[in-house]
Order: sequence, then C-alpha cells, then structure tokens
Amino acid sequence: MALNLTFNSSNPPLGALLTAEHVKGSVNLSVEEGKDTMLHVSDQVQFSDVNSITRYLARVAPALGLYGSNMMEQTEVDHWLEFSARRLCGQSDLSSALADLDKALALRTFLVGRSVTLADLCIWAALKGNGESQAKPSSHPHLCRWFSFLSSQVPFSSVGSKWASKVSASKAASVEKDK
Amino acid sequence: HTLTHTPADAVLRGTADLDDLLGKDLGALRDIVINANPAQPPLSLLVLHALLCQRFQVLSSVHVHSSVSTVPAPLLSCLGPRHTHSYARHRFQLGFTLIWKDVSKLQMKFSTQNMCPIEGEGNVARFLYRLLGAEPRDPVSATLMDGWVDTALFQLAEGGSKERAAVLRALNAALGRSPWLLGQEFSLADIVSACCVLQTGQTSSAPANVQRWLKSCQNLGYFSCVDPLLQ
Repeated sequence: MALNLTFNSSNPPLGALLTAEHVKGSVNLSVEEGKDTMLHVSDQVQFSDVNSITRYLARVAPALGLYGSNMMEQTEVDHWLEFSARRLCGQSDLSSALADLDKALALRTFLVGRSVTLADLCIWAALKGNGESQAKPSSHPHLCRWFSFLSSQVPFSSVGSKWASKVSASKAASVEKDK
Repeated sequence: HTLTHTPADAVLRGTADLDDLLGKDLGALRDIVINANPAQPPLSLLVLHALLCQRFQVLSSVHVHSSVSTVPAPLLSCLGPRHTHSYARHRFQLGFTLIWKDVSKLQMKFSTQNMCPIEGEGNVARFLYRLLGAEPRDPVSATLMDGWVDTALFQLAEGGSKERAAVLRALNAALGRSPWLLGQEFSLADIVSACCVLQTGQTSSAPANVQRWLKSCQNLGYFSCVDPLLQ
C-alpha cells in the first residue's frame, strides 16, 4: 500500500521531507501539502512526530542504510535523532550543542558510519531550520565543512532552497506572536 | 484479575549472539559504562540489566563519582550483589558499570568499536534491548516502540501534569486494545513506560487498564530490581 506524507507548507518538517526525498526511489510514497505533518501508513497506523516518520521511512527502505549498517550505528543514529529534537530544535543558545557537533565531525565525512544516515538528515535539517547562522567557520570548522558539503548535494540543496525560508519565516512569525 | 500474559521464558525470545551483533570478540571484555545522575535513577536500564544477566555472563559494578557526595544505599546495590574480585574478567561476556555522577543527561560509552558517547536513557535502553536481540523486525512495531519510549521519557517522566495525564490516557487506550503496548508481545515499550509510571508515583491513581498492565509487568519478575528504589 502506498504511503502518504502530508505537511503544512507554512511550517515544513525539513527532516521528514529530506528523508522522503531519499527514499522515494525505493518506497511508494506520495508527499502533499495538508493541514498537519502526518505519515499515513494505514487506517490503523499514522505517525505525526518527525523522528517517528523518519525512522519508519528508513526502516521500510533498509537497502539505503539510513538507519546505519549495524547495531552500534543504529544506536548512534538514535543518539543524533534525539540530539536534533532536544538540543537543536527550539533552543536559543546552541553553543554547547554546536561544539559537540564540531567535535563529533572532526575526523568524519558523515556523522555515523561511512554514508549518509538519518543522523545527517535530521541534524542538517535542524541547523538549516534554526541554527545555521550560529555556526561560524572559525569556531566550528568541521561542522561548517560537513554542513556545506551536504548542502551542495541533492536532495539537501533542493529541499533547502524550496522549504528552508518557510521554516525561518514561521519561526520569525512565532517569535513575533510571543512578543 | 490480571490479564493472561505470556510466560516469562517465552518473552524476549530473540536469539542474541554477541559476536553476530557486535562483530567478532577480539579478546577484550565488551564494556558498557553508564554515567547517571542519582537524582534520576534510570529504572528502565536496571530492568534491562537484569534481562542481560539472564542471557549473558555480566560483570556488573556500581561506582560513585567525586561530583556526587552521598548516594542512598539502594542505588549502590541496584545491580545486585558485588562480584568478588577473584573473578577473572575473561570469564565474562559483558561488563556493565554504572557510575553515579552529577551529569545533566545520562551518558553511555561502549568500549568496542568507535561508537560515539550515547546520550539519553531511551537511547541506551534501545541499545541494551538490541543486545538482547529482541527488537521487532516489523517497521511499524519497531517505530511504535521507539515512539512509546520517547513519550514515556519526555512527556511522562519530564512533562507537566497535563502532559502526564494525556500520556496516561493514551496508555490506557492502547492497553484496552491489547495486553501489551505493541499488541501480543511484551517489549521495550512496556519496560520504559512502566518504569516511568512507577517513577512518577502515579500507580494508584492510574486508569484501570494501566494498573492491570503494571501488575502484568511486575508478574513477569523483571521489575523486582526497581522496587527498592521506589521507596
């Protein structure tokens, strides 16, 4: 059965959209704008939080290795998924999180293993959405190298150029509303 | 009356071979070292430790870091009786070291391979559960399991009263449909969620299905190790 991902274009879930782009050649998945972010699997099963959506999509396309290639890598991916949700999203001071990321990327091309995983997708998405401007090449050279490397690749570049400005706009609007 | 539940020996029947899971043993003891804050004892990891001890030869030890002045006695004996030092490390398959330390977030380091330090009780719980070879193979079940783990730790254990009430309602609804959170099989979702309900002290005020399920969990015998910490 076909999977259906809906999302609200005024606050697009970058990590879920990026994962959807990665798996679309392997999985029968339609993506459309709607009221809320929701992955419809069946009438009984729907996932609405981004980490559940990305985990499920990675698991139904195991050949892509998006959840890592062994149980140690899976556990590292879990670590970075939580890191993106809890330490990057919705935080104003990112200094310690960015320092941790820079350290983790010191000798690495990807956050986990030797190819792109959900860790890269979700951390990149969280930074693209709110923290990109706080990372400086002088203090976070490895993080900035990793970020610009991924940003130059498809589908990071296409998802970024299509949706990232909407995320920033929605963040600005909610800040405005809070005032 | 409790629900009829799966006999304990039939639960978690995944086959776990550490060499298959972790790569060939190179002679060194595979060491799990966990830094946890005594203000938030990671109950789910104690349950998983008990399960690991049923499956493997585990060399367990508890230490107190200098950042913590005193630790209540139950926290020092939470991994069972101390091994005598005459045991040689090579007789064990896994090392499990718990260090009570003033950390803001629970951390785990695993000795073999180049695994990064893992933060968060839920992520360490997922790792230990994989060592048991018990992770569901079906993508829907595996993802629902991960969702319950996050919900329990972030909304039940850390959330405000409204969030807690919402999670208890969700647990009650799910447990009205099936004996365990994922259906017919006991899983990590039950371990972490039950520990969070027990830890928040909501046992007596919990809705009926949740109470019945807590009894079923406790009847399995895996949760007896957390009782001394709930006093």
